[in-house]
Amino acid sequence: MEPTLDTFAVQDMSNVAGFAAGETLWLTLIMTAGAVAIFIAVMVLVVLAWRGRGGGRTWWIIGGGIVFPVVVMALLFVLSTFVLRSVAAPAAPDHVIEVTGKQFWWNVVYDPEGRALRDANEVVLPLGEPVEIRLKSADVIHSFWVPPIAGKMDMIPGRVNTLTVTATREGRFRGQCAEFCGLSHPLMAFEAVVLPPDEYDAFLADLDREAHDAVTPQERRGAEVFQSSGCVACHRVQGISDARIGPDLTRIGARAALGAGMWEMNTGNLAGWIANVDDMKPGAEMPSYNHLSGPDLRALVAWLESLT
Amino acid sequence: MSVTETPTAYSGARKGEDKSFEGVWDTPTGLRKLSSVSHRVVGRRFIYTGFVFFLIAGVLALMVRTQLIVPGNTFLDLETYNQVFTMHGTLMMFLFAIPILEGFAVYLIPLMLGARDLIFPRLGQFGYYCYLFGGIIVLSSFLFDAAPDGGWFMYVPLSTKAHTPGLSADFWLIGITFAEIASVTAAVELITAILCARAPGMSLTKMPVFAWYILITAFMIAIGFPPLIIGSILLEAERLLALPFFDPMLGGDPLLWQHLFWLFGHPEVYIIFLPAAGMVATMLPTFVGKPLFGYGFAVAAVVTMGFISFGLWAHHMFATGLPILSLSLFSAASSMVAVPTAIQIFCFIATLASGRPRLTVPMLFILGFLSIFVIGGLTGVMLASVPFNWQAHDSYFVVAHLHYVLIGGMVFPLIGAFYYWAPHFTGRMMSERLGRWVFGLMFVGFNATFLLMHLTGLRGMPRRVATYAEGLGWDRLNMLSSIGSYILAAGIALFVFDFFRSRRHGPKAPRNPWGAGTLEWLYPPVAPGFNFHAIPPVESREPLWDQPELLEREAHEVDGVMHGIRDGRRETLGCDPVSGAPLYVLRLPHPTWIPMLAAAGLAILFGATLASAYWVCAVGGVIALAAFTLWAWEPSDSGVTRDAGMGHELPVNVVDKRAHMHVALVGTMLVLMALFASLIFGLLYLWNIRPDAAETVTRPGLVAAAVAVVAGIAVAVFGQFTRRTAVSDRNLGAMALSLLTAAAAVASAGALGLSLMPVDPWASALGATLWATGGFTGIVLFVLLYWALFNAARRLTRRTGPGQSMPDFNLATFAKGSGLMVVVAGAFFIAGAMGGVG
Repeated sequence: MEPTLDTFAVQDMSNVAGFAAGETLWLTLIMTAGAVAIFIAVMVLVVLAWRGRGGGRTWWIIGGGIVFPVVVMALLFVLSTFVLRSVAAPAAPDHVIEVTGKQFWWNVVYDPEGRALRDANEVVLPLGEPVEIRLKSADVIHSFWVPPIAGKMDMIPGRVNTLTVTATREGRFRGQCAEFCGLSHPLMAFEAVVLPPDEYDAFLADLDREAHDAVTPQERRGAEVFQSSGCVACHRVQGISDARIGPDLTRIGARAALGAGMWEMNTGNLAGWIANVDDMKPGAEMPSYNHLSGPDLRALVAWLESLT
Repeated sequence: MSVTETPTAYSGARKGEDKSFEGVWDTPTGLRKLSSVSHRVVGRRFIYTGFVFFLIAGVLALMVRTQLIVPGNTFLDLETYNQVFTMHGTLMMFLFAIPILEGFAVYLIPLMLGARDLIFPRLGQFGYYCYLFGGIIVLSSFLFDAAPDGGWFMYVPLSTKAHTPGLSADFWLIGITFAEIASVTAAVELITAILCARAPGMSLTKMPVFAWYILITAFMIAIGFPPLIIGSILLEAERLLALPFFDPMLGGDPLLWQHLFWLFGHPEVYIIFLPAAGMVATMLPTFVGKPLFGYGFAVAAVVTMGFISFGLWAHHMFATGLPILSLSLFSAASSMVAVPTAIQIFCFIATLASGRPRLTVPMLFILGFLSIFVIGGLTGVMLASVPFNWQAHDSYFVVAHLHYVLIGGMVFPLIGAFYYWAPHFTGRMMSERLGRWVFGLMFVGFNATFLLMHLTGLRGMPRRVATYAEGLGWDRLNMLSSIGSYILAAGIALFVFDFFRSRRHGPKAPRNPWGAGTLEWLYPPVAPGFNFHAIPPVESREPLWDQPELLEREAHEVDGVMHGIRDGRRETLGCDPVSGAPLYVLRLPHPTWIPMLAAAGLAILFGATLASAYWVCAVGGVIALAAFTLWAWEPSDSGVTRDAGMGHELPVNVVDKRAHMHVALVGTMLVLMALFASLIFGLLYLWNIRPDAAETVTRPGLVAAAVAVVAGIAVAVFGQFTRRTAVSDRNLGAMALSLLTAAAAVASAGALGLSLMPVDPWASALGATLWATGGFTGIVLFVLLYWALFNAARRLTRRTGPGQSMPDFNLATFAKGSGLMVVVAGAFFIAGAMGGVG
């Protein structure tokens, strides 16, 4: 499987790009250092006990078994609670993004109570501004996790969970479903893109317009294939169709990845996807369009790639 | 020691009348060995069967690691991988870890306590066959190409019919629930044996520490398994009958399943850890040559752990959106479990310092346990921190953590225990040289596999992924983990080889080969079919160390109570649960096929449910019920007294609340109450979490519910009177009260049913749960009715003689418990009818 993002550690929690991930990282480092120190101390005690003569002492049990853990746990609890408060109760959010998990992709709606701008499989965040991410599920339980930005939160049918994140670094990061959600669970990823606030606003404005008109004859043919082959029954392309069963394709050509963060977006992969969804993502609802003629398929791909 | 014969007033069955002591206790040979009820045979079967499941689950683990050795691997397709990791977890948790530890407990507990068998040998056989048949049902799913693939945690809605059509989830739910019967029956059996069948003088404080560990574990099983059993039944009902327990569209909640699952699942971890820690606490003193240091601290820690373990379940659900306050509470509780754990670790360290440790193979495994388990404990403390948990949860960090805890805390002690107790199974010693290789390979392989996984998780790799993209920083870590897993597997393979090699070529084990202090080493291995010719009085926790007369004589010449046989019956000593003073003689059953028949009837019932052949279900149910009736119908021996030797003139069974039958009944009521409480938890949860949906439920009938409460009280009151007639041994009175209890039970069930009539179980989750609560209470009432009629019939046919009122005494306790359930259920129906609770 080819990586869609060529940067090492795009899904690493220590590659910090969000406030929560940053707070959690130093908590992790402190706890790891403490754990290693305690482990070494206990092992040294085992060696000393092995060599020592003259018997155990009750105060070892009281000291090592009760006093020490109680003190350490209390300190850790205080520390952890401070981090929890700063991570879980942040400033009032400037933006709201609704992400709905589906087998096996992500439906994304920016500003759901206002402009309701629709997209899929890519979550764009403004740098330095708190964003409330509302997490829903359309079928089974999924979990939203971009380790460099923040910890995970489950998406549970019948519930709305919220995760407020603040991105602290520009770049492209990788998120992945962290709750086993069925057959293609490992093939359910996405990209989180952090943009400066002005570019973020421009991105939203761009989402708010209809798809480009097809320009070349091949693209026009592709747009016809899209209509005539039934794609419109499931996919939304703003200005052309408004179905909401599958991912929104209005700007599919602009996305870096295909198949929910899994494959690099290029002509070959896109054609392969349309013709062989079953092979690339078993269990996906979309049927394989392997009955399309070669020219039709190429035209459809060309048109989709032009949707940016 | 003469055997007193008082044939008058005794009409008990004379099984093997003209046989010697050895003959009476002889294990049948050939195919008839399957009818054996001896704890030695049943315990070994649990152990060997559990180990076979361990090997199968281990092969599945190797398939997982082979698939993940390189990114984008195509060794397994997605579906197969999901089946493989689901079955790996399922087999390891349900069919290996708990059964094999229960097997060791079933085998060792009577030997350590000075009993000739467990108190309910037939229950042991029944449990084993439930476990075996349940396990076969789960495994057979591979043959039908329907292996479960929803994870060992079976989260809804993924495991509901809409998202998992076909039979795979049903195989899991039915097979595992069936196998769990064995865990629960073994728990009741062990509780009773530990409390009621100890050597003279073995007070609770002189009990070997292993018995304490097993006692607490058994209580935890009795309370911890019911939430999962209820959850599984509700989920199967949702799949089979479309009852909407977990459906958010109809007022249900997917999180209810998670709560029920982890209410079981977290105690389960300690249920697995504690018996293994008990093995460590037993083996360690042997190799140090000094008693366990801090016995009282260790016991207190184990009891504390048992309690705390039920308050931690939500730390598996930190990422589900629980309120911050709940998160903090569960976080604090989770880290506090470190205290009882640390106490035990420090008891072990202090024991090490008390004497001169010998570096034998079991000792190596104990050291392996100490180092690995401490790491697992420390990462557990890290995971109790909520912000860290949000990153690490469902990542490979958790995979690493849980394997450190479970392999370090359970598998290492277990392999050590095999080396330690192998003489009991084979009569020979396993190899000290090969054992060191086994340990080395396992220790290196284990750490190579799992230490790196912490890092893999922190680098963002989620669990349960069949494949991953390259270049994310996971490639080399995964390859090293996979290589480590092969080394670990080589260690296990070498262990298996050594076990079989030692069966033929190992040096013959002498009597008490390790110089241990506990009673299971009194006889030379291989032990005969029986445990003790005479049960020696015990004065300390290490009788073989402190009572030299025990090892100075040949084992069969050791002095004690209950020498020889009476009436051709298998017997052991019943004791006071606290002081261990001899109280009565316990008559034990001889080999029989009936429990196997009962288990087979249940297997038919469960199997036919899977095949949707409902009339076959009825056949299976009738077979099981008939077998249970035959089981219970046998003539009673109670009411006569026998000379037990050493100045003890003891009755056969006593009508007393300390009697084994009553202790067992209390244990069973604990299970039933926990099952009932799980349903009540479900009711309260749904009512609370979805008040909007609760408003739409049609209300239960108020008058009928009130009648049910009254009838429930009547059940309890008649029960109390039954107890009085039982104690004063009045035949007619007991019969009349049995019939009255039966009538009140019928009235209760009828009233509860009437009250539920207006509620449509298909319309809402709350309605369905009300029906489930009513249904469960109904089943309990059916058992009560059946039992009351059964007792009355025995009275009528004069099968119950003077001094044999124990069944009535027990019925009284059961009636009071059932009455309580009816009252609580009725109260909830009344609250529902008035629309109040919430």
